[in-house]
Amino acid sequence: MSWGDDKTLVLLLAGGVGSRLNVLVQTRAKPAVPFAGIYRIIDFSLSNIMNSGFSQVGVLTQYKPLSLMQHIGTGEAWDFTGRTRGVKILPPRTGSSDSDWYKGTADAVRQNIDFIKAYPSKELIILSGDHIYRMELDEMLHFHRRKRADMTIGMMVVPREQIHQFGAGIINSEGRIVEWEEKPKVPRTDLASMGIYVFDTAYLLRMLETFRDDLDFGMDIIPKAIASDQVFAYPFRGYWRDVGTIQAYWEANMDLLRADAPITPAAWGIRPNPAAEGRPADRTPARFTGGCTVQNSLIAAGCIIEGTVVNSVLSPGVKVGKGATVRDSILLHDCVVEEGATVDLAILDKRVQVGQGAVVGSGSEKEVANRKQPKHLYTGITLIGKEAEVPANTTIGRNCVIAPYRKGGDYPGSNIATGESV
Amino acid sequence: MKQKPKVLSIILAGGRVDELNVLTAHRPKSAVPFGGFARVIDFPLSNLMQSGLELVAILSQYRSFSLISHIGIGGAWDMLGRYRGVSILPPSQGFGQSSWYRGSADAVFQNLDFIQFHNPETILILSGDHVYHMDYREILAYHREKEADCTIACLEVPLDKAHRFGVAEIDDEDGELGGRVVQYQEKPVEARCNWASMTVYCFRPEVLYDLLAVNAREDDSFEFGRNIIPRLLAGSYRVYGYKFYGYWGYTRTIDEYWQTSMDMLGPAPKIRIEEWGLRTNLDHRRTCDCQPLKVGPDAAIHNSLIYNGCLIEGTVENSILFPGVHVKPGAMVRDSVLFFNNVVGRDSRLDKVVSDVNVSFGHGAHLGEPGDPLAKRATVVGWNNQIPDGIVIGAGCTLYPGLAPDQLSRSVIPAGEVVR
Repeated sequence: MSWGDDKTLVLLLAGGVGSRLNVLVQTRAKPAVPFAGIYRIIDFSLSNIMNSGFSQVGVLTQYKPLSLMQHIGTGEAWDFTGRTRGVKILPPRTGSSDSDWYKGTADAVRQNIDFIKAYPSKELIILSGDHIYRMELDEMLHFHRRKRADMTIGMMVVPREQIHQFGAGIINSEGRIVEWEEKPKVPRTDLASMGIYVFDTAYLLRMLETFRDDLDFGMDIIPKAIASDQVFAYPFRGYWRDVGTIQAYWEANMDLLRADAPITPAAWGIRPNPAAEGRPADRTPARFTGGCTVQNSLIAAGCIIEGTVVNSVLSPGVKVGKGATVRDSILLHDCVVEEGATVDLAILDKRVQVGQGAVVGSGSEKEVANRKQPKHLYTGITLIGKEAEVPANTTIGRNCVIAPYRKGGDYPGSNIATGESV
Repeated sequence: MKQKPKVLSIILAGGRVDELNVLTAHRPKSAVPFGGFARVIDFPLSNLMQSGLELVAILSQYRSFSLISHIGIGGAWDMLGRYRGVSILPPSQGFGQSSWYRGSADAVFQNLDFIQFHNPETILILSGDHVYHMDYREILAYHREKEADCTIACLEVPLDKAHRFGVAEIDDEDGELGGRVVQYQEKPVEARCNWASMTVYCFRPEVLYDLLAVNAREDDSFEFGRNIIPRLLAGSYRVYGYKFYGYWGYTRTIDEYWQTSMDMLGPAPKIRIEEWGLRTNLDHRRTCDCQPLKVGPDAAIHNSLIYNGCLIEGTVENSILFPGVHVKPGAMVRDSVLFFNNVVGRDSRLDKVVSDVNVSFGHGAHLGEPGDPLAKRATVVGWNNQIPDGIVIGAGCTLYPGLAPDQLSRSVIPAGEVVR
């Protein structure tokens, strides 16, 4: 089959900073944050696109795109290589008159009109690379065609008290959206936008060219489209999480561990890209020594477990030494927890070293928030940045933040109190 | 500047070994799963990659499909590029006489056109059947230094085990490094020497070409060990032995396969798989799509290797589990090796079982006998079998692949029985 007029083009918005993920996004964009041991957040969107049968994708990046670009590579991991298949990274460009940094979702798409025109399509699907979910986007496209819509928005029911975080739509009996409120303070509906749009390509191009100053879909384009055109809500009923906060990220990882886990990446057909991790196949099976204890956990290949691991998610290559305990925690690639150390309710970025006898997550004051960033850490989770060292016999309290690359000399003492940062 | 490779490596991967019976019913021995995620041939392939030898031919004729899928385009071992590649060479017809490979030497002889096209300075011949970690650059350097016609990698074995191997006597020319081979016996009834050939040979190409031609013309057997090496020693050739002191595991019988697998476990494993840097092709069977191992709330795991894609809700001890194994609550897996996609039912018990892909064990099934694993033989289960609920199968039994339900309708299968 060749590239014809009935083809669908997909744009994946992967520019988000996700600053509430704190040290996890200090060295990478939010879509590139590792999740569920071997995946990155964007794998869920990329795999949904692949499993829905779409094969021409543009990925719009802006913030710290290096790890994202390396991760996507040629797109082979998601079957995006071939004569009519491809994934292109689309960073902001200078050179033409109205190119600049992306100033919003609609602006980002507008700056890539040349890409959209280079791959003529009947419909364009725009989605975000930030979310954990499984969705059949081809079903949504069929819905869009059946309704003869100009635009279709993927929407789901959320608790009313959360609606202020979303674009909210009020629909009529046919599913057409008749009113729109972006992040309303007073909820009038429980139907929230997932940031997934199907546009008739010609319609979108006309909107972007007509309203040249509009920067954002939710704030600017959608209200205008609803006022004058056919905009429908496509209902989604399934597990969907925006893991944009530390608390949500931790909870979604813990959701993986339940016996009736609502997230099942392999069953969902989610594909990681281990080749981009470097030396991928060198990860051997996880090794469990005699005398170890492992319960209710997710353990990736390449881990060596000599101690105790309970209710935790371990990425490839994590080592837990003799007498060490890891509980209610998320440890990214190649972390080392040395003999007798304890990690309790913590998220450790890649290659963190926890020295002998150290304690990460100590004390019972889980409600004492981080002093500098009380909105990021307030439930007891302690965060350790990439490649940081926790010196032997150091004790770190609750809701603490250790910045990436911190070594022994950077610590003020052997006791970091609850709520403090290094 | 990167030159054309001077060494052509040839892996002999065609063989089926009858003693591994059900595990090689549908695949050559080199493609037998090993180590929780890999295949036996990954050991020589990874050794080649790490030795920088990236021009490789694989000679194969026995049910090659599994091997072909596994090798793919060779990218997993970085053998893809201008001067890098893996070629699988099956038997083929031509204008002259055509036949199946009649032995390891004949397989090489039938592919002389391929070899001569590459015009190598040295030909490295390996077996695809062994588990070891070796830097081939060292034996190649020794081979060149000695200006040898053939250099054989050898490992010292106890004299009473020597009858199972080709064994050489090596003189003291270079002490611990190696020396001239002064005599060689292939699987001798009464061994006089105990340096066993590892089936790793470096050849001067012209010598190999000559000997293969003579062998094809004059002999009625076509094996390196039985024919070519004795011919070398009978002639006035320079044959050297390179002494190897590392681990060398072989998998000729089920019990050897089991023992070699167990050498990966324990506090001081002989196969140091993390250090060896073993590579496999994660695209094969889409192993790369497996999610991390999930361990349930009541699971217990000790002294085991378990790859991504498994779900453990019961107990696993001293075992190796390949992707997709599900051990249900109350089940006990001990001293066992379970290949891809086995399902172990509730309250079942497996002791010293080697089970091929796609086997499900019913609720309360008991296979093997508890106790010292060294005191009894392994029970082996061929692929695509459904073991019924509550059945008792003794130690040392063999179940052929894809048995019909009525073949397993008994409540007890006594130790040592073969069900086919």
